[in-house]
Amino acid sequence: MKVENVLLEKKYHDAIEHWSRHNFKDYPVLLEKWEEYFPSDEKFCLCAKLEVGTPDLIQIGEQKGEKKRLEPDQLTEEQAHHLLAIIKAQASTEFGSIQQHSGTLDRANDDQDRMWVLRVMAEELRHGYQMIHLLLSKDWSHVSGGVTGRQMVEEILSMTTGNHVLDAFNLDYDSFIDNITFAAFIDRVGKYQLTMQKVCAYKPMADSMPPMLREEAFHLAAGVIPLRRFAQRAGSGDPLASMRSVQHSVNKWFPRGLEMFGDERGGETNVKFGFKDMKNREAQDLYIEEVRKMLRDINARFVRARFPEYSPEQAEGVITELEQTRGSHRGLQHEDLLRLPDRRFFRRKGEAAFEMIGIDGETFTDADEYIRYLSKNLNEGYVASRDLVNFADVLRKVKSGTMTVKDGIMAMPKLKRLGGMCPCSKGVRWVMEDESGGQTPVGIRA
Amino acid sequence: MPDTAAQIRIRPVDELDIGSIVRIDERITGTYRPDVWERRVMYYLRRDPDASQVAEVEGKVVGFMLGEVKAGEFGIEEPSGWIERFGIDPDHRGRDLGRQMFAAMRRHFSEQGAAVIRTLADMKQPGVAGFLTALGFGPSRYQALEISNAPEGR
Repeated sequence: MKVENVLLEKKYHDAIEHWSRHNFKDYPVLLEKWEEYFPSDEKFCLCAKLEVGTPDLIQIGEQKGEKKRLEPDQLTEEQAHHLLAIIKAQASTEFGSIQQHSGTLDRANDDQDRMWVLRVMAEELRHGYQMIHLLLSKDWSHVSGGVTGRQMVEEILSMTTGNHVLDAFNLDYDSFIDNITFAAFIDRVGKYQLTMQKVCAYKPMADSMPPMLREEAFHLAAGVIPLRRFAQRAGSGDPLASMRSVQHSVNKWFPRGLEMFGDERGGETNVKFGFKDMKNREAQDLYIEEVRKMLRDINARFVRARFPEYSPEQAEGVITELEQTRGSHRGLQHEDLLRLPDRRFFRRKGEAAFEMIGIDGETFTDADEYIRYLSKNLNEGYVASRDLVNFADVLRKVKSGTMTVKDGIMAMPKLKRLGGMCPCSKGVRWVMEDESGGQTPVGIRA
Repeated sequence: MPDTAAQIRIRPVDELDIGSIVRIDERITGTYRPDVWERRVMYYLRRDPDASQVAEVEGKVVGFMLGEVKAGEFGIEEPSGWIERFGIDPDHRGRDLGRQMFAAMRRHFSEQGAAVIRTLADMKQPGVAGFLTALGFGPSRYQALEISNAPEGR
């Protein structure tokens, strides 16, 4: 395992550091306290890391066995266009998650948890840096529609919560529970994407994946371990910790995580082009099983804390019993355990978009009844958010027949930054985009 | 009697293995120590997630081996692979899982440039001593030494 570290041209490196001053104010704190919280760990490097010695031949798809492409113009135009969109979306997610984490970072009630999230944020910054390296180190002009590398970087760095490419990165966090649930659920989707892209037919992309994946392992642990500890506190009777608050956060993030895989019926192009080794549904199925296992494990931590005299087998037995009977065990209710929502629950994209399905797979026929159900199963801060208001509005239209599901998917408003790249320079506006790309402002956020 | 034909998989440890490691440790030691293993697994995941390994039988984690490459410890400047913690569920012993996990770690240590693999073990525990000897571990010129540091008079 050998890794080459690469720095961007100074002006772009400086631009990312400048971005961090606005969006990641605690970055210097992390560097200052690194040795205290991560003693003798390799120092953080804001750089692109490229694995040396990865396969030279295309591993999957129509060009399997041919030499991996080293330049964008060695890809077909369609391939290059498709890959450019993947890289830009990936960059958007990296910078987007830092903005989300920043909002509630200071609400962590444990210094170590806070420092772990800070390290996650720094490594996401590095991942964003990595994607910008992929955009700038080669010439994409033949497929960028006249947009220069500099303009692509400006576009990415000007995005803010609300106008990122993927929905999961457009939701504000409501508490530190969201920080850790996001790391456990959404970073896990990231792990799947990076793992699938290890085979990428474009070698610089494939070489970028292993170092990112190694860092991603820490991100998942930085979500799961605090969740386990929180469950332990809840099980021990700490009045400030409840499984309900975690469940509400799971209900918020799991559907968005599923949608990050893309429509369940798609993904063939990525495999055909040799960019990923699984189609969307295939990867999504594995992800669902993995998060199901994670929740069961957290439940076991909770039950052991609730009944300290129980053996591991007894604790497992209680979980199985409650899952089957949906009843109670010595005062512990089925609802006290975390459960994975049905994959069709609260979806706005993909095969189940705007179907009204409950957490346990129950169906609803009335939009307002479903919205009331959501409001009971999501945390209060999120229920009061613009995102949920917009979802409810579109859902009502889809269900009343005044809007098609396809238009509903398109109709969710986005925040658009109007103006320069520096986040301190301009406000942003809520806009509705029509199919031709026209924009109608519907609100302003300073 | 273990079913030797059961499907075995050796793979790097991940954060979802913590519960299984806690369970294996509890079976061996009789003590439930989730905090200890959350800390230890996080330590290895943040430093080198590809080094430490678990053994799965039929999809269930029944063994673990944790370690990493370190340099500069105790004045040993060249990178060395360190095996620091391991455990196998008593119901799954005798099927070579420890050796297979060690082989995976050894490959990784080689890729990392470690020419020597080291460990520190209680040689009075016959199971541990026998296992390490069977893997090929032998005495080192470096000796573990200790001195009591209990307050005088206690």
